Amino acid sequence: MKVISKFFLAAAAATALYSCDKEPVNTDGDFQIQMEYQWAMSGAPFTMNTMLYHPMSGDSLKFTTFKHYLSNIKLHHVDGSVWEAPESYHLLNIDDATSLVLDFTGVPAGEYNALEITFGVDSLRNVSGLQTGALDPANNMFWSWNTGYIMIKAMGESPQSPSGTFSYHLGGFSGPNSTILTKELNFPAGELLEITPDGTPVIHTMANPAKLFHTQGTVANMPMIHMPNTEAGIMASDFNQGVFIDHVHL
Amino acid sequence: MIRFRTGQLAGITIAASLLFSCSDDLRKDHSWRKDMLPEHFPEPVYSIDPDTLSEEVVALGRDLFYDNLLSSDSSISCGTCHAQTHAFAGHGTPISAGVHGRLGTRNTPGLSNLAWHNSYMLDGGINHLDLVPIAPITAFFEMDLSLNEAIHRLNSSPYKARFQRVYNTDSVHTKVLMKVLTAFELTLVSADSKYDRVVLGDSVFTEVEERGEVLFQSNCASCHTPPLFSDFSYANHGFEWPSTDAGRGRITLAAEDSGAFKVPSLRNAALTHPYMHDGSVYSLEEVLDRYSDGILVHSNLDPRIEGPMHFSDEEKAALIAFIHTLTDYTLNTNPRHSAP
Repeated sequence: MKVISKFFLAAAAATALYSCDKEPVNTDGDFQIQMEYQWAMSGAPFTMNTMLYHPMSGDSLKFTTFKHYLSNIKLHHVDGSVWEAPESYHLLNIDDATSLVLDFTGVPAGEYNALEITFGVDSLRNVSGLQTGALDPANNMFWSWNTGYIMIKAMGESPQSPSGTFSYHLGGFSGPNSTILTKELNFPAGELLEITPDGTPVIHTMANPAKLFHTQGTVANMPMIHMPNTEAGIMASDFNQGVFIDHVHL
Repeated sequence: MIRFRTGQLAGITIAASLLFSCSDDLRKDHSWRKDMLPEHFPEPVYSIDPDTLSEEVVALGRDLFYDNLLSSDSSISCGTCHAQTHAFAGHGTPISAGVHGRLGTRNTPGLSNLAWHNSYMLDGGINHLDLVPIAPITAFFEMDLSLNEAIHRLNSSPYKARFQRVYNTDSVHTKVLMKVLTAFELTLVSADSKYDRVVLGDSVFTEVEERGEVLFQSNCASCHTPPLFSDFSYANHGFEWPSTDAGRGRITLAAEDSGAFKVPSLRNAALTHPYMHDGSVYSLEEVLDRYSDGILVHSNLDPRIEGPMHFSDEEKAALIAFIHTLTDYTLNTNPRHSAP
C-alpha cells in the first residue's frame, strides 16, 4: 500500500539523520573582521555626532548617520585558490558596534595572503528582486523608485553646507557611475593570515570617512546626493579605496 | 524490534505528516489558476508556477490590497487608486490623491498582465515585480508608510497568524508581505475581451471594428503590439515638447530618453481615462486627434513615429471602435479581484 511505504521511507530518512555518532575530523578554522574608523590622517578615532574639522576642505562636519555595505568576503590562499564566505552581505552601522564585527567560520586551514572585500552590494543582487537579512529593503538602504541599494549612507550637519546639513545616499550598480568596488587587501608588512582549527585571528580594518570629500572637496559643492551620478561614484570610490588592513592579531 | 530514540520518533512523525499535507491543494479545482497563463499569450517575463499559488496566499494578498492599514493614516488602500471598475487604473482623475490629499505628478496606471512587463512604473525605475509595492507604500505623496511600520502593524494584527500559516515564518517581514501582494497581482490577467474572443474564434468583429483593426495594425501595432497591446518599450510620442517630466530619462540619465514613458497596454483603455503620464488627455477622441494632427516632431521623438498621422474622422472612429473591443468585463467584475 502506498501509505505504508511512504511511512517507511520517512522512517528511514529520519533514522539516517539521527544515527551518526562519529564526528568527521574538522580542520576548518574561523576568523573575524573588525571594522574601525579614523578621522582624516590624524589617527584619532572617528566619532559620530561630534563636530570634526576636515583638514583639506576646512569644513566642520558632524555625522549623524553612517552606514555602508560590505559583501562577498573572500580569502586568497597562497596556493592561488580562493575561499568565499557563503551569502556574505553585511550592513555596517557605525552607531551599532555589534554590526562592525563580522564572524566567519568554515575556512580551510592554511595560509592566506589577501582579504578580498566587495564594497557595496554586487550588481547581480541589485537585479534579483526581493532580498532578506542585511539586504532587506526595510533597512532603509534601498531606493524604492529606482531599484538598487544605497551602498553608503552618510548624513549630518555642517555650517559650510548651504542648508546646514549634508545627505549622501551613494548608490548605482552599473556603468561608469557604479559605486561598487571589489578590492584585494594585503596584510601589513607582507604577513600571511594563518587559519587553524584553534584560535580566531581578528583582522582590524580601518576606514576613514574624511576620504568621502577627498576629490569632492567642501560640502558646499554638493551637499545632497540621492541618486546615481558622477559625484556619487567619486565619493564612494574615494572612501572605499581608503580602506586598509591595520593589523591582525589572535 | 527497532529501538528509536525520542528524537528519531519526532523526526519520523514530522516527516510523515509533511508527506500527507500537500496533496489536498493539488486535488482542488485549478480553473482560476489556469487563467493566469492564457494560451494565446507569449511566455511571461516573471516566471509563474500557478501550482505554487494557493487560494489562501492569493486571498491574503487580495485582503491586503484592499486594506487601509497599509497607509500612514489608514485612509487609503492600494484598491483606492487602483480601482477594479477602471481595470485597476485610477478613478477617472488625472492624478490620484494619496494620504492627506497629497498629489504626485503621474497618472495611476492600470494593473493587469503584470507578469509580461520587463520593468515597472511609468519610467521603468523598478526592475522586479516583487519590489513594486514598496514604492507606493513608502512614497510621501501616496501611502507614506515606512516598511518597518507596515510590518509592525501586520505583526500586531490577525494577519500575523495568516502569514504564519501560508509561509513557514514566525512573523511578517518584507519578503512575505511583498510575495502575497505579487500573488494577488498575478491573478489580474486581462485576456477575455471581445478581441480575445475573436482571436480564439468565438466571435467576429463588426465592420467598423474590423476596419479599426486594420488601421491599428499599420499605424499603432509597432508600439502597441498585440496580444498585450504594448511591447513595453519606452517612447516619446511627441505630444509634449520640451518635456516637463524627464520620465525614462530620470532613470537612464540619457538626454535622448527625456520625456519618454513606458508604452501603456491599450487593453481596457476605454475604461482608464484620462490618458498619458500626467492624465492630461481626457478622452480617446482627444488622443486620436493628437495622433492625427498634434504630434510635435522633435529630437526625442520615437523613430517609429514619423509625424502627425492625419487620420480622417472615419478612421478615428474605426480605431476607437477597435480599442473598445479591448475591454475585458471579466477582469472588471470578477469577485475574486474585488474588495472582500
